Amino acid sequence: MSPEVLSVILLTLQVATVSTLIVLLPATVLGYVLARYEFFGKNVLSALVGLPLVLPPTAVGFLLLRLFAVDGPLGRETLGFDLNILLTWKGAVIATATMSLPLVARTAKATFEGINPRLELMAHTLGHGRLATFFQYSLPMARRGLLGAVILGFTRAMGEFGATVTIAGNIPGRTQTIASAIFSAQQVGAQARADFFMLVAVVLGFLAILSAELLGHGRALPRMARP
Amino acid sequence: MTSVPPTHDSLQDGSLDGLTVQVRLPLDRFELNIDLHTKKHVTGIFGVSGAGKTSLLETICGVRRQARGIIALGEETWLDSDRGVFVKPSQRHIGYVPQDGLLFPHKDVRHNLLAGRKRGVRRGHPVQQTFETVVHILELGPLLKRAVHTLSGGERQRVALGRALCSGPRLLLLDEPFASLDVALRRKLLPFLRRVRAEFQIPMLFVSHDPLEVQALCDELIVLRDGTIISHGDPRSVLTASDIFPLAEQHGFENILPCYAVEGSGSTGQVRLGEGGDAERAPVELVTLRSEAQPGEALLAGIPAHDIMLATRRPEGLSARNVLPARITQLRSVGHVGLATAELSPDLPPLTVEVTEKSFVELGLRVGSEVFLVIKATSCRLYRTGESRGT
Repeated sequence: MSPEVLSVILLTLQVATVSTLIVLLPATVLGYVLARYEFFGKNVLSALVGLPLVLPPTAVGFLLLRLFAVDGPLGRETLGFDLNILLTWKGAVIATATMSLPLVARTAKATFEGINPRLELMAHTLGHGRLATFFQYSLPMARRGLLGAVILGFTRAMGEFGATVTIAGNIPGRTQTIASAIFSAQQVGAQARADFFMLVAVVLGFLAILSAELLGHGRALPRMARP
Repeated sequence: MTSVPPTHDSLQDGSLDGLTVQVRLPLDRFELNIDLHTKKHVTGIFGVSGAGKTSLLETICGVRRQARGIIALGEETWLDSDRGVFVKPSQRHIGYVPQDGLLFPHKDVRHNLLAGRKRGVRRGHPVQQTFETVVHILELGPLLKRAVHTLSGGERQRVALGRALCSGPRLLLLDEPFASLDVALRRKLLPFLRRVRAEFQIPMLFVSHDPLEVQALCDELIVLRDGTIISHGDPRSVLTASDIFPLAEQHGFENILPCYAVEGSGSTGQVRLGEGGDAERAPVELVTLRSEAQPGEALLAGIPAHDIMLATRRPEGLSARNVLPARITQLRSVGHVGLATAELSPDLPPLTVEVTEKSFVELGLRVGSEVFLVIKATSCRLYRTGESRGT
């Protein structure tokens, strides 16, 4: 395996891992809040969270591009310094995180909805406040579903193409991931290279789902979140 | 189960804290409107389903935030909405045992039992000692390492009860803890509740619509209908009151009498009525079906009110094994039936007998009439309490 090919695979794993770590906490909290609380604007929040699932990924990428462009709200001219997002691996992380957050949040929400809220009330009557109940009861009881959510988010991040390519580009050795490498190889007719990355994608995806099934005794993906 | 280790002093000294519950809470069909003051050890809450019993317990726990009014135990006020006092559920020191157990699936039995340990320790409660007592009296030792999904229904409810006790509660709320179990199993769990009652001197509210459980455990009984208390008093009088009696009609009223086993013979068993502690003047014995009870074992005899016949003369040539002289102390009508209260002896709780109103007239029954109660041995149910005579 050439160093260039290896760097594509490593970068893909790096982007997916960092993006999953970033998404994990906010998505879990969002999922919990949406599952447990009633508040003004809940439907709007829920719709916003789900939005990236229904938009064309390129639209999401373009939105991010406008956000981080030199004259955008988070660009150099507004902030006074450069976040250095565009056309870097950090851009790819932001794109994949944006795309996988709704999936993780909605799966987390479905998981928390599957836990009897009276168990949490029971924890309250045994002397645990809200935070302690969340960390010592809600999270551990949801662990299987949350693990499934994380794996879904990770695989989503590994396979993300449209948004990533729009904001981070497709620069070999810098921002090219497996998804964009397959696209490039197919565009220039490099059949063997495309085949190779396709196989890598299949193997990685299969391992991820399989590990979820094994770890969760087949129940790691309880209810697949849908937009 | 022969002896119980001595409990720590903190559970035995002093009298009970008075409980005050004066609350209003709008529910779907009616308003929960409760005014209850009690200093009794175990207060039963009886009523048909949907009468507001669970809502009342949840209000006391503090999980019904809309409730207005006052809830106080002893010196501690948990709710006083006019003064803006609302103590969070986690700070109320209440042990709650729900109908469905609600054991935590991610913890084994031991860690379920200790789920409320931190609060107990904060309050200075001897949690370890209580844990040992609870494991002993509820016979949880063999279960401690089990995962909760492997437990049977009765085991789950025992763990739920133990978990509530281990948190060092000042008040115990039992919401039909055995309602989801079949009758035979419920009867087997009765001794556990009796032991908890004997061991823990904390006020308890016990929701049940089982006349036996209520009489075997409660010092007083309140009856809820459409969110309000319609009756309040000692369990037997409340259950046989004319407005309450029909509520228990599907099971019928069962007389519950403390008794203890004496030597039976052949195919029948024999019990002597009374607690067995004092010297009996004229012991009343009851022939029952053969039971597994050992002589001296404390039992509860249950005799359904509609299984007792009244005779004005001692009947002869009868298969019924029990013909007991008694005196009528009260007569009244409830709907289509007449209820007679008959006293076997001044030392024993009276029996309620259900007969038709016609029989009242034809037998010429009056208060003070001397009668005979005719009871078949097969109508006498025996319930084990897990205790022995005089304890």
